[in-house]
Amino acid sequence: MSIIQQHTSATLSDAWRTINIDALTEDSSLNFDTSTLHPPQPEISEAEVRQLAGQVRQLLRGGDPEGALRGCLETPVYNGEDAAKDAHMQTIIEVLQSIKASDMSPLLKSIYGTEGGSECLDVLMKYIYKGMAAVHPGNASRSPTKDASQGFSQVGGRPGANEPATAAMSVLLSWHEKVVEVAGLGCIGRTMTDCRRV
Amino acid sequence: MSPPEVHHLFHNPIVDHSFSADQSTLAVTRETTVELYSKVGDAFKLKDELKGHDKTVTSVDIAPQSGRIVTCSQDRNALVWEPSPTGYKPTLVLLRINRAATFVRWSPSETKFAVGSGDRVIAVCYFEEENDWWVSKHLKKPIRSTITSVAWHPNSVLLAAGSTDAHARVLSSFIKGVDPRPPAGVWGERLPFNTVCGEYLNNSAGWVHSVAFSPSGDSLAFAAHDSSITVVYPTGPDQPPRAVVTISSQMLPFKSLLWSAEDEIIAAGYDCEAFRFQGSEAGWQLTGTIESKGRPGLEQREESALNMFRQMDLKGKAKDDTQLKTVHQNTVTMIRPYETSGDRVTKFSSSGVDGRVVIWSA
Repeated sequence: MSIIQQHTSATLSDAWRTINIDALTEDSSLNFDTSTLHPPQPEISEAEVRQLAGQVRQLLRGGDPEGALRGCLETPVYNGEDAAKDAHMQTIIEVLQSIKASDMSPLLKSIYGTEGGSECLDVLMKYIYKGMAAVHPGNASRSPTKDASQGFSQVGGRPGANEPATAAMSVLLSWHEKVVEVAGLGCIGRTMTDCRRV
Repeated sequence: MSPPEVHHLFHNPIVDHSFSADQSTLAVTRETTVELYSKVGDAFKLKDELKGHDKTVTSVDIAPQSGRIVTCSQDRNALVWEPSPTGYKPTLVLLRINRAATFVRWSPSETKFAVGSGDRVIAVCYFEEENDWWVSKHLKKPIRSTITSVAWHPNSVLLAAGSTDAHARVLSSFIKGVDPRPPAGVWGERLPFNTVCGEYLNNSAGWVHSVAFSPSGDSLAFAAHDSSITVVYPTGPDQPPRAVVTISSQMLPFKSLLWSAEDEIIAAGYDCEAFRFQGSEAGWQLTGTIESKGRPGLEQREESALNMFRQMDLKGKAKDDTQLKTVHQNTVTMIRPYETSGDRVTKFSSSGVDGRVVIWSA
Protein backbone atom coordinates (compact mmCIF):
# COMPACT_ATOMS: atom_id res chain seq x y z
CA MET A 1 0.00 0.00 0.00
CA SER A 2 1.46 3.31 -0.99
CA ILE A 3 1.89 6.14 1.43
CA ILE A 4 -0.74 8.20 -0.33
CA GLN A 5 -3.34 5.46 0.04
CA GLN A 6 -2.52 5.02 3.70
CA HIS A 7 -2.95 8.69 4.21
CA THR A 8 -6.30 8.70 2.46
CA SER A 9 -7.70 5.85 4.47
CA ALA A 10 -6.52 7.49 7.65
CA THR A 11 -8.31 10.67 6.69
CA LEU A 12 -11.46 8.75 5.88
CA SER A 13 -11.51 7.04 9.22
CA ASP A 14 -11.20 10.47 10.79
CA ALA A 15 -14.73 11.25 9.67
CA TRP A 16 -15.86 11.24 13.28
CA ARG A 17 -14.03 14.51 13.68
CA THR A 18 -16.66 16.24 11.59
CA ILE A 19 -19.54 15.04 13.76
CA ASN A 20 -21.30 18.02 15.24
CA ILE A 21 -21.27 17.04 18.88
CA ASP A 22 -23.46 20.00 19.77
CA ALA A 23 -26.33 18.30 17.96
CA LEU A 24 -25.97 15.30 20.27
CA THR A 25 -25.86 17.30 23.49
CA GLU A 26 -29.35 17.70 24.75
CA ASP A 27 -29.19 21.24 26.08
CA SER A 28 -26.64 22.76 23.69
CA SER A 29 -27.38 25.99 21.90
CA LEU A 30 -28.10 23.99 18.74
CA ASN A 31 -31.05 22.29 20.38
CA PHE A 32 -32.28 25.42 22.00
CA ASP A 33 -34.03 28.42 20.52
CA THR A 34 -31.76 31.30 21.50
CA SER A 35 -34.37 33.87 20.53
CA THR A 36 -36.28 32.91 23.68
CA LEU A 37 -33.46 34.49 25.69
CA HIS A 38 -34.66 37.98 24.81
CA PRO A 39 -38.01 39.57 25.55
CA PRO A 40 -40.23 39.51 22.44
CA GLN A 41 -40.66 42.74 20.48
CA PRO A 42 -44.14 44.06 19.62
CA GLU A 43 -45.24 43.24 16.10
CA ILE A 44 -45.83 46.21 13.81
CA SER A 45 -48.03 45.84 10.74
CA GLU A 46 -47.57 47.46 7.36
CA ALA A 47 -50.69 49.59 7.83
CA GLU A 48 -49.22 51.11 10.99
CA VAL A 49 -45.99 51.85 9.16
CA ARG A 50 -47.88 53.58 6.34
CA GLN A 51 -49.85 55.64 8.82
CA LEU A 52 -46.64 56.70 10.56
CA ALA A 53 -45.07 57.54 7.19
CA GLY A 54 -47.99 59.88 6.50
CA GLN A 55 -47.48 61.67 9.81
CA VAL A 56 -43.75 61.93 9.21
CA ARG A 57 -44.29 63.45 5.76
CA GLN A 58 -46.64 65.98 7.26
CA LEU A 59 -43.98 66.97 9.81
CA LEU A 60 -41.43 67.28 7.02
CA ARG A 61 -43.73 69.53 5.02
CA GLY A 62 -44.37 71.53 8.15
CA GLY A 63 -40.65 72.25 8.42
CA ASP A 64 -39.87 70.04 11.40
CA PRO A 65 -37.18 67.63 10.18
CA GLU A 66 -36.06 66.80 13.72
CA GLY A 67 -39.56 65.77 14.74
CA ALA A 68 -39.91 63.75 11.56
CA LEU A 69 -36.62 61.91 12.11
CA ARG A 70 -37.35 61.29 15.78
CA GLY A 71 -40.83 60.10 14.89
CA CYS A 72 -39.59 57.32 12.67
CA LEU A 73 -36.61 56.39 14.87
CA GLU A 74 -38.73 55.96 17.96
CA THR A 75 -40.79 53.17 16.42
CA PRO A 76 -38.32 50.89 14.64
CA VAL A 77 -39.88 47.80 13.04
CA TYR A 78 -38.05 45.01 14.90
CA ASN A 79 -40.80 42.48 14.50
CA GLY A 80 -42.95 42.58 11.40
CA GLU A 81 -43.35 41.44 7.84
CA ASP A 82 -40.66 42.26 5.31
CA ALA A 83 -43.02 44.65 3.58
CA ALA A 84 -43.48 46.63 6.78
CA LYS A 85 -39.73 46.68 7.41
CA ASP A 86 -38.98 47.87 3.88
CA ALA A 87 -41.69 50.51 3.99
CA HIS A 88 -40.26 51.90 7.21
CA MET A 89 -36.78 52.02 5.76
CA GLN A 90 -38.12 53.89 2.75
CA THR A 91 -39.66 56.48 5.07
CA ILE A 92 -36.39 56.93 6.93
CA ILE A 93 -34.35 57.27 3.74
CA GLU A 94 -36.83 59.82 2.49
CA VAL A 95 -36.40 61.86 5.67
CA LEU A 96 -32.61 61.55 5.51
CA GLN A 97 -32.55 62.71 1.89
CA SER A 98 -34.70 65.71 2.62
CA ILE A 99 -32.40 67.10 5.33
CA LYS A 100 -29.69 69.52 4.21
CA ALA A 101 -26.07 68.54 4.79
CA SER A 102 -25.45 71.61 6.94
CA ASP A 103 -28.36 70.70 9.23
CA MET A 104 -27.19 67.13 9.92
CA SER A 105 -24.77 67.67 12.79
CA PRO A 106 -26.83 70.16 14.82
CA LEU A 107 -29.88 67.97 14.39
CA LEU A 108 -28.09 64.81 15.50
CA LYS A 109 -26.53 66.62 18.46
CA SER A 110 -29.89 67.87 19.60
CA ILE A 111 -31.40 64.37 19.33
CA TYR A 112 -28.42 62.85 21.17
CA GLY A 113 -28.76 65.38 23.99
CA THR A 114 -32.32 64.42 24.81
CA GLU A 115 -33.47 61.45 26.85
CA GLY A 116 -33.42 58.26 24.79
CA GLY A 117 -31.42 60.10 22.13
CA SER A 118 -28.56 57.62 22.20
CA GLU A 119 -31.02 54.80 21.51
CA CYS A 120 -32.50 56.80 18.60
CA LEU A 121 -29.11 57.23 16.97
CA ASP A 122 -28.42 53.50 17.38
CA VAL A 123 -31.64 52.84 15.48
CA LEU A 124 -30.63 55.36 12.83
CA MET A 125 -27.30 53.57 12.44
CA LYS A 126 -29.10 50.25 11.96
CA TYR A 127 -31.19 51.75 9.17
CA ILE A 128 -28.14 53.35 7.57
CA TYR A 129 -26.45 49.95 7.37
CA LYS A 130 -29.64 48.30 6.17
CA GLY A 131 -29.98 51.02 3.56
CA MET A 132 -26.43 50.50 2.38
CA ALA A 133 -27.07 46.78 2.05
CA ALA A 134 -30.27 47.39 0.12
CA VAL A 135 -28.95 49.93 -2.38
CA HIS A 136 -28.18 47.85 -5.46
CA PRO A 137 -25.92 49.74 -7.82
CA GLY A 138 -27.63 47.88 -10.67
CA ASN A 139 -24.35 47.19 -12.37
CA ALA A 140 -22.79 44.93 -9.78
CA SER A 141 -21.44 42.68 -12.52
CA ARG A 142 -19.30 45.46 -13.90
CA SER A 143 -15.68 44.44 -14.27
CA PRO A 144 -13.33 45.78 -11.60
CA THR A 145 -10.95 47.23 -14.21
CA LYS A 146 -13.59 49.58 -15.50
CA ASP A 147 -14.38 50.52 -11.94
CA ALA A 148 -10.78 51.45 -11.28
CA SER A 149 -10.56 53.53 -14.44
CA GLN A 150 -13.26 55.80 -13.12
CA GLY A 151 -11.17 56.63 -10.12
CA PHE A 152 -12.51 58.97 -7.51
CA SER A 153 -15.25 60.53 -9.56
CA GLN A 154 -17.75 57.82 -8.67
CA VAL A 155 -19.95 59.92 -6.44
CA GLY A 156 -20.22 62.68 -8.98
CA GLY A 157 -22.72 62.39 -11.79
CA ARG A 158 -21.79 59.29 -13.63
CA PRO A 159 -23.77 58.89 -16.82
CA GLY A 160 -26.06 55.90 -16.54
CA ALA A 161 -29.20 54.57 -15.01
CA ASN A 162 -27.94 54.17 -11.45
CA GLU A 163 -27.98 57.79 -10.38
CA PRO A 164 -30.70 57.45 -7.73
CA ALA A 165 -28.89 54.51 -6.15
CA THR A 166 -25.57 56.37 -6.07
CA ALA A 167 -27.24 59.42 -4.65
CA ALA A 168 -28.90 57.35 -1.94
CA MET A 169 -25.57 55.77 -1.07
CA SER A 170 -23.77 59.09 -0.82
CA VAL A 171 -26.52 60.40 1.44
CA LEU A 172 -26.20 57.35 3.67
CA LEU A 173 -22.41 57.65 3.75
CA SER A 174 -22.48 61.26 4.86
CA TRP A 175 -25.09 60.46 7.51
CA HIS A 176 -22.94 57.57 8.69
CA GLU A 177 -20.00 59.93 9.17
CA LYS A 178 -22.09 62.43 11.10
CA VAL A 179 -23.67 59.80 13.35
CA VAL A 180 -20.25 58.40 14.28
CA GLU A 181 -19.07 61.94 15.06
CA VAL A 182 -21.92 62.39 17.53
CA ALA A 183 -22.55 58.93 18.96
CA GLY A 184 -19.02 57.53 18.71
CA LEU A 185 -17.76 54.11 17.73
CA GLY A 186 -19.93 52.59 20.44
CA CYS A 187 -22.87 53.21 18.13
CA ILE A 188 -21.41 50.94 15.43
CA GLY A 189 -20.62 48.32 18.05
CA ARG A 190 -24.19 48.37 19.28
CA THR A 191 -25.53 48.04 15.74
CA MET A 192 -23.48 44.90 15.26
CA THR A 193 -24.22 43.46 18.71
CA ASP A 194 -27.91 44.13 18.96
CA CYS A 195 -30.24 41.17 18.72
CA ARG A 196 -33.07 43.43 17.55
CA ARG A 197 -32.69 43.65 13.79
CA VAL A 198 -34.50 46.14 11.63
CA MET B 1 -2.39 62.66 41.82
CA SER B 2 0.70 60.57 41.29
CA PRO B 3 1.55 59.32 37.81
CA PRO B 4 0.76 55.69 36.97
CA GLU B 5 3.38 53.05 37.71
CA VAL B 6 4.04 51.22 34.45
CA HIS B 7 5.61 47.77 34.33
CA HIS B 8 6.23 46.42 30.87
CA LEU B 9 6.79 42.74 31.62
CA PHE B 10 7.03 41.07 28.22
CA HIS B 11 5.65 41.14 24.69
CA ASN B 12 2.77 38.69 25.13
CA PRO B 13 -0.83 39.39 26.00
CA ILE B 14 -1.73 39.29 29.69
CA VAL B 15 -5.31 38.10 30.09
CA ASP B 16 -5.35 38.22 33.87
CA HIS B 17 -3.13 39.35 36.72
CA SER B 18 -3.29 39.22 40.47
CA PHE B 19 -1.31 40.80 43.31
CA SER B 20 -0.66 39.13 46.65
CA ALA B 21 -2.07 40.88 49.72
CA ASP B 22 1.25 42.58 50.56
CA GLN B 23 1.67 43.55 46.88
CA SER B 24 5.16 42.05 46.76
CA THR B 25 4.17 39.26 44.38
CA LEU B 26 2.48 39.68 41.04
CA ALA B 27 1.06 36.72 39.12
CA VAL B 28 0.40 37.16 35.41
CA THR B 29 -0.75 34.73 32.77
CA ARG B 30 1.58 34.15 29.85
CA GLU B 31 0.37 31.62 27.31
CA THR B 32 0.37 28.22 29.05
CA THR B 33 2.21 29.34 32.17
CA VAL B 34 1.67 31.73 35.02
CA GLU B 35 4.66 33.89 35.85
CA LEU B 36 5.31 35.14 39.35
CA TYR B 37 7.13 38.44 39.70
CA SER B 38 8.48 39.86 42.92
CA LYS B 39 9.07 43.49 43.64
CA VAL B 40 12.74 44.51 43.66
CA GLY B 41 13.04 48.22 44.27
CA ASP B 42 10.68 49.86 41.81
CA ALA B 43 10.63 47.05 39.30
CA PHE B 44 9.18 43.57 39.11
CA LYS B 45 11.61 40.71 38.53
CA LEU B 46 10.67 37.21 37.38
CA LYS B 47 10.82 34.89 40.40
CA ASP B 48 9.00 31.70 39.48
CA GLU B 49 7.02 30.07 36.73
CA LEU B 50 3.98 27.92 37.39
CA LYS B 51 3.94 25.25 34.69
CA GLY B 52 1.12 22.77 34.84
CA HIS B 53 -1.38 23.63 32.15
CA ASP B 54 -0.94 22.50 28.59
CA LYS B 55 -3.26 25.05 26.97
CA THR B 56 -3.60 28.81 27.32
CA VAL B 57 -4.15 29.93 30.90
CA THR B 58 -7.30 32.02 31.04
CA SER B 59 -7.38 33.29 34.60
CA VAL B 60 -5.35 33.52 37.82
CA ASP B 61 -6.24 34.58 41.34
CA ILE B 62 -4.18 34.81 44.54
CA ALA B 63 -6.05 34.34 47.80
CA PRO B 64 -5.08 37.30 49.99
CA GLN B 65 -4.94 35.47 53.36
CA SER B 66 -3.68 31.97 52.54
CA GLY B 67 -1.49 32.96 49.59
CA ARG B 68 -2.84 30.05 47.55
CA ILE B 69 -2.96 30.64 43.82
CA VAL B 70 -5.71 29.22 41.66
CA THR B 71 -5.35 29.08 37.88
CA CYS B 72 -7.60 27.78 35.14
CA SER B 73 -6.99 27.09 31.50
CA GLN B 74 -8.42 26.12 28.16
CA ASP B 75 -7.21 22.57 28.91
CA ARG B 76 -10.40 22.31 31.07
CA ASN B 77 -8.50 22.10 34.33
CA ALA B 78 -8.03 24.28 37.35
CA LEU B 79 -5.00 24.01 39.60
CA VAL B 80 -4.56 25.19 43.17
CA TRP B 81 -0.94 26.12 43.89
CA GLU B 82 -0.05 25.75 47.56
CA PRO B 83 2.90 27.84 48.75
CA SER B 84 5.63 25.77 50.42
CA PRO B 85 9.24 26.46 51.35
CA THR B 86 10.40 24.66 48.19
CA GLY B 87 8.06 26.45 45.83
CA TYR B 88 4.46 26.14 44.76
CA LYS B 89 2.84 22.68 44.76
CA PRO B 90 -0.03 22.20 42.29
CA THR B 91 -3.18 20.23 43.10
CA LEU B 92 -5.57 19.31 40.34
CA VAL B 93 -9.22 20.19 40.86
CA LEU B 94 -11.95 17.95 39.49
CA LEU B 95 -14.00 20.38 37.45
CA ARG B 96 -15.93 17.78 35.40
CA ILE B 97 -16.32 20.11 32.41
CA ASN B 98 -15.64 19.29 28.78
CA ARG B 99 -15.02 22.78 27.46
CA ALA B 100 -12.43 25.41 28.33
CA ALA B 101 -12.38 26.95 31.79
CA THR B 102 -12.61 30.70 31.29
CA PHE B 103 -12.51 32.51 34.60
CA VAL B 104 -11.67 31.77 38.23
CA ARG B 105 -12.02 33.72 41.47
CA TRP B 106 -11.57 32.90 45.16
CA SER B 107 -14.52 33.65 47.39
CA PRO B 108 -13.79 36.30 50.06
CA SER B 109 -13.84 33.51 52.67
CA GLU B 110 -11.16 31.67 50.64
CA THR B 111 -12.81 28.32 51.33
CA LYS B 112 -14.28 28.14 47.83
CA PHE B 113 -13.61 29.33 44.34
CA ALA B 114 -15.79 29.53 41.27
CA VAL B 115 -14.68 28.52 37.78
CA GLY B 116 -16.63 29.75 34.79
CA SER B 117 -16.50 27.63 31.66
CA GLY B 118 -17.52 27.23 28.06
CA ASP B 119 -19.56 24.21 29.09
CA ARG B 120 -22.48 26.37 30.26
CA VAL B 121 -21.69 25.65 33.90
CA ILE B 122 -19.96 27.35 36.78
CA ALA B 123 -18.01 24.89 38.90
CA VAL B 124 -18.06 25.93 42.54
CA CYS B 125 -15.07 24.21 44.12
CA TYR B 126 -14.36 23.52 47.78
CA PHE B 127 -11.94 21.39 49.73
CA GLU B 128 -13.18 18.08 51.06
CA GLU B 129 -11.17 17.23 54.15
CA GLU B 130 -12.11 13.52 54.24
CA ASN B 131 -10.76 12.86 50.77
CA ASP B 132 -8.04 15.51 50.85
CA TRP B 133 -9.27 16.71 47.48
CA TRP B 134 -10.82 19.75 45.80
CA VAL B 135 -14.30 18.86 44.54
CA SER B 136 -16.79 20.88 42.57
CA LYS B 137 -20.52 21.36 42.38
CA HIS B 138 -22.07 22.67 39.18
CA LEU B 139 -24.25 25.73 38.84
CA LYS B 140 -26.10 24.83 35.67
CA LYS B 141 -29.50 26.40 35.40
CA PRO B 142 -30.40 28.66 33.67
CA ILE B 143 -27.02 29.30 31.97
CA ARG B 144 -27.30 28.96 28.20
CA SER B 145 -23.82 29.86 27.05
CA THR B 146 -20.18 30.41 27.96
CA ILE B 147 -19.45 32.18 31.23
CA THR B 148 -17.13 35.13 30.64
CA SER B 149 -16.66 36.34 34.19
CA VAL B 150 -17.73 35.72 37.77
CA ALA B 151 -17.68 37.93 40.86
CA TRP B 152 -18.27 37.15 44.52
CA HIS B 153 -20.61 38.89 46.90
CA PRO B 154 -18.90 39.88 50.20
CA ASN B 155 -20.91 37.13 51.97
CA SER B 156 -19.14 34.40 49.92
CA VAL B 157 -22.44 32.75 49.08
CA LEU B 158 -23.83 34.83 46.25
CA LEU B 159 -22.07 34.71 42.94
CA ALA B 160 -22.57 36.99 39.95
CA ALA B 161 -21.85 35.62 36.51
CA GLY B 162 -21.73 37.26 33.10
CA SER B 163 -22.35 35.12 30.07
CA THR B 164 -22.30 35.24 26.29
CA ASP B 165 -26.05 34.58 26.32
CA ALA B 166 -26.20 38.30 27.20
CA HIS B 167 -27.38 37.78 30.77
CA ALA B 168 -25.80 38.79 34.04
CA ARG B 169 -27.04 36.51 36.77
CA VAL B 170 -26.86 36.36 40.52
CA LEU B 171 -26.81 32.79 41.82
CA SER B 172 -26.42 31.17 45.20
CA SER B 173 -23.40 28.93 45.69
CA PHE B 174 -24.26 27.92 49.25
CA ILE B 175 -22.51 24.71 50.25
CA LYS B 176 -23.59 22.94 53.40
CA GLY B 177 -20.79 22.40 55.83
CA VAL B 178 -18.54 24.97 54.17
CA ASP B 179 -20.54 28.17 54.38
CA PRO B 180 -22.27 29.63 57.42
CA ARG B 181 -25.92 30.43 56.72
CA PRO B 182 -25.94 33.88 55.11
CA PRO B 183 -28.12 36.62 56.53
CA ALA B 184 -31.15 37.54 54.43
CA GLY B 185 -30.52 40.49 52.16
CA VAL B 186 -31.83 42.28 49.12
CA TRP B 187 -30.98 39.32 46.90
CA GLY B 188 -32.99 36.73 48.85
CA GLU B 189 -33.81 35.18 52.19
CA ARG B 190 -33.34 31.46 51.79
CA LEU B 191 -30.47 30.65 49.51
CA PRO B 192 -30.04 26.93 48.78
CA PHE B 193 -27.47 25.98 46.12
CA ASN B 194 -28.33 27.19 42.59
CA THR B 195 -31.07 29.63 43.65
CA VAL B 196 -31.38 32.21 40.89
CA CYS B 197 -31.59 35.56 42.69
CA GLY B 198 -31.64 37.70 39.60
CA GLU B 199 -31.29 37.58 35.84
CA TYR B 200 -30.63 40.80 33.96
CA LEU B 201 -29.99 41.80 30.42
CA ASN B 202 -29.69 45.20 28.82
CA ASN B 203 -31.63 46.52 25.85
CA SER B 204 -29.39 45.52 23.00
CA ALA B 205 -28.39 42.23 24.64
CA GLY B 206 -24.68 42.07 23.92
CA TRP B 207 -22.25 39.59 25.48
CA VAL B 208 -21.51 40.38 29.09
CA HIS B 209 -17.77 40.90 29.56
CA SER B 210 -17.55 41.69 33.23
CA VAL B 211 -19.68 41.71 36.39
CA ALA B 212 -19.07 43.19 39.83
CA PHE B 213 -20.94 43.64 43.10
CA SER B 214 -20.76 47.02 44.76
CA PRO B 215 -18.68 47.16 47.99
CA SER B 216 -21.82 46.66 50.10
CA GLY B 217 -22.98 43.86 47.83
CA ASP B 218 -26.40 45.46 47.44
CA SER B 219 -26.09 46.37 43.78
CA LEU B 220 -24.59 44.80 40.71
CA ALA B 221 -22.86 46.31 37.70
CA PHE B 222 -22.06 44.65 34.41
CA ALA B 223 -20.32 45.70 31.21
CA ALA B 224 -21.50 44.33 27.89
CA HIS B 225 -20.25 44.24 24.33
CA ASP B 226 -22.63 47.02 23.30
CA SER B 227 -20.25 49.52 24.98
CA SER B 228 -22.61 49.93 27.88
CA ILE B 229 -22.53 49.59 31.63
CA THR B 230 -25.65 48.53 33.49
CA VAL B 231 -26.17 48.97 37.22
CA VAL B 232 -28.92 46.99 38.95
CA TYR B 233 -30.45 47.94 42.31
CA PRO B 234 -32.56 45.03 43.59
CA THR B 235 -35.57 45.61 45.82
CA GLY B 236 -35.87 42.26 47.52
CA PRO B 237 -36.52 38.59 46.82
CA ASP B 238 -38.98 37.84 44.00
CA GLN B 239 -39.55 41.51 43.20
CA PRO B 240 -38.44 43.44 40.17
CA PRO B 241 -35.36 45.58 40.81
CA ARG B 242 -36.13 49.12 41.92
CA ALA B 243 -33.75 50.60 39.39
CA VAL B 244 -31.82 49.34 36.39
CA VAL B 245 -29.60 52.07 34.97
CA THR B 246 -27.88 51.58 31.62
CA ILE B 247 -25.27 53.98 30.31
CA SER B 248 -24.50 53.55 26.62
CA SER B 249 -21.12 55.06 25.91
CA GLN B 250 -19.55 56.47 22.77
CA MET B 251 -16.50 54.31 23.34
CA LEU B 252 -15.55 50.79 22.36
CA PRO B 253 -16.76 48.03 24.73
CA PHE B 254 -15.37 47.62 28.24
CA LYS B 255 -13.66 44.34 29.16
CA SER B 256 -13.47 44.81 32.88
CA LEU B 257 -14.99 46.95 35.59
CA LEU B 258 -14.67 47.53 39.33
CA TRP B 259 -16.48 49.56 41.97
CA SER B 260 -14.09 52.03 43.54
CA ALA B 261 -16.84 53.19 45.91
CA GLU B 262 -20.58 52.79 46.31
CA ASP B 263 -21.08 55.70 43.90
CA GLU B 264 -18.19 55.18 41.49
CA ILE B 265 -17.30 52.57 38.89
CA ILE B 266 -14.11 52.32 36.87
CA ALA B 267 -14.19 50.45 33.56
CA ALA B 268 -11.57 49.74 30.92
CA GLY B 269 -11.43 47.76 27.72
CA TYR B 270 -10.90 48.04 24.00
CA ASP B 271 -10.16 51.77 24.21
CA CYS B 272 -6.91 50.91 26.01
CA GLU B 273 -7.65 53.26 28.91
CA ALA B 274 -9.83 53.40 32.01
CA PHE B 275 -12.93 55.56 32.43
CA ARG B 276 -14.72 56.75 35.52
CA PHE B 277 -18.49 56.52 36.01
CA GLN B 278 -20.29 58.22 38.86
CA GLY B 279 -23.87 58.09 39.99
CA SER B 280 -26.52 56.50 42.12
CA GLU B 281 -29.93 54.90 41.75
CA ALA B 282 -31.18 58.09 40.12
CA GLY B 283 -28.73 57.85 37.26
CA TRP B 284 -25.14 57.31 36.23
CA GLN B 285 -22.81 59.37 34.06
CA LEU B 286 -19.47 58.90 32.45
CA THR B 287 -17.36 61.56 34.14
CA GLY B 288 -14.10 61.17 32.29
CA THR B 289 -10.94 59.22 31.76
CA ILE B 290 -8.48 58.18 34.48
CA GLU B 291 -5.46 59.10 32.42
CA SER B 292 -4.58 62.74 32.61
CA LYS B 293 -3.65 63.46 29.05
CA GLY B 294 -0.47 65.35 28.30
CA ARG B 295 1.38 64.08 31.33
CA PRO B 296 5.06 64.95 31.30
CA GLY B 297 7.00 62.11 29.76
CA LEU B 298 4.37 61.17 27.25
CA GLU B 299 4.41 64.49 25.45
CA GLN B 300 6.06 64.61 22.10
CA ARG B 301 9.56 66.00 22.25
CA GLU B 302 10.28 69.04 20.16
CA GLU B 303 11.53 67.60 16.89
CA SER B 304 14.68 69.01 15.32
CA ALA B 305 14.44 70.03 11.71
CA LEU B 306 16.98 67.41 10.76
CA ASN B 307 14.94 64.73 12.50
CA MET B 308 11.77 65.87 10.81
CA PHE B 309 13.26 65.71 7.33
CA ARG B 310 14.84 62.36 8.11
CA GLN B 311 11.45 60.99 9.18
CA MET B 312 9.84 62.43 6.04
CA ASP B 313 12.51 60.78 3.96
CA LEU B 314 12.34 57.39 5.69
CA LYS B 315 8.66 57.07 6.40
CA GLY B 316 7.00 59.70 4.28
CA LYS B 317 5.62 61.52 7.28
CA ALA B 318 6.93 63.97 9.83
CA LYS B 319 5.47 62.45 12.98
CA ASP B 320 5.82 58.92 14.24
CA ASP B 321 2.20 58.01 14.98
CA THR B 322 2.62 54.33 15.73
CA GLN B 323 2.17 54.97 19.46
CA LEU B 324 -1.19 55.37 21.12
CA LYS B 325 -1.58 58.34 23.41
CA THR B 326 -2.68 56.04 26.22
CA VAL B 327 -0.34 54.24 28.62
CA HIS B 328 -1.58 50.82 27.53
CA GLN B 329 -0.80 50.25 23.88
CA ASN B 330 -3.52 47.64 23.42
CA THR B 331 -6.78 46.43 24.94
CA VAL B 332 -6.99 46.44 28.72
CA THR B 333 -8.04 42.93 29.73
CA MET B 334 -8.46 43.18 33.49
CA ILE B 335 -8.62 45.83 36.18
CA ARG B 336 -8.45 45.00 39.88
CA PRO B 337 -8.38 46.94 43.13
CA TYR B 338 -4.80 47.45 44.35
CA GLU B 339 -5.07 49.60 47.43
CA THR B 340 -8.09 50.53 49.51
CA SER B 341 -8.62 52.95 52.34
CA GLY B 342 -11.88 52.59 54.20
CA ASP B 343 -14.34 51.39 51.60
CA ARG B 344 -12.82 53.37 48.74
CA VAL B 345 -10.40 51.94 46.24
CA THR B 346 -7.55 54.44 46.09
CA LYS B 347 -5.37 52.56 43.62
CA PHE B 348 -6.12 49.93 41.03
CA SER B 349 -4.04 47.84 38.67
CA SER B 350 -4.66 47.02 35.03
CA SER B 351 -3.20 44.47 32.64
CA GLY B 352 -3.35 44.52 28.88
CA VAL B 353 -2.74 42.69 25.64
CA ASP B 354 0.43 44.80 25.30
CA GLY B 355 2.12 42.90 28.17
CA ARG B 356 1.97 45.83 30.58
CA VAL B 357 0.74 45.93 34.16
CA VAL B 358 -0.01 49.46 35.32
CA ILE B 359 -0.89 50.74 38.79
CA TRP B 360 -3.14 53.80 38.78
CA SER B 361 -4.39 56.10 41.47
CA ALA B 362 -8.16 56.11 41.22
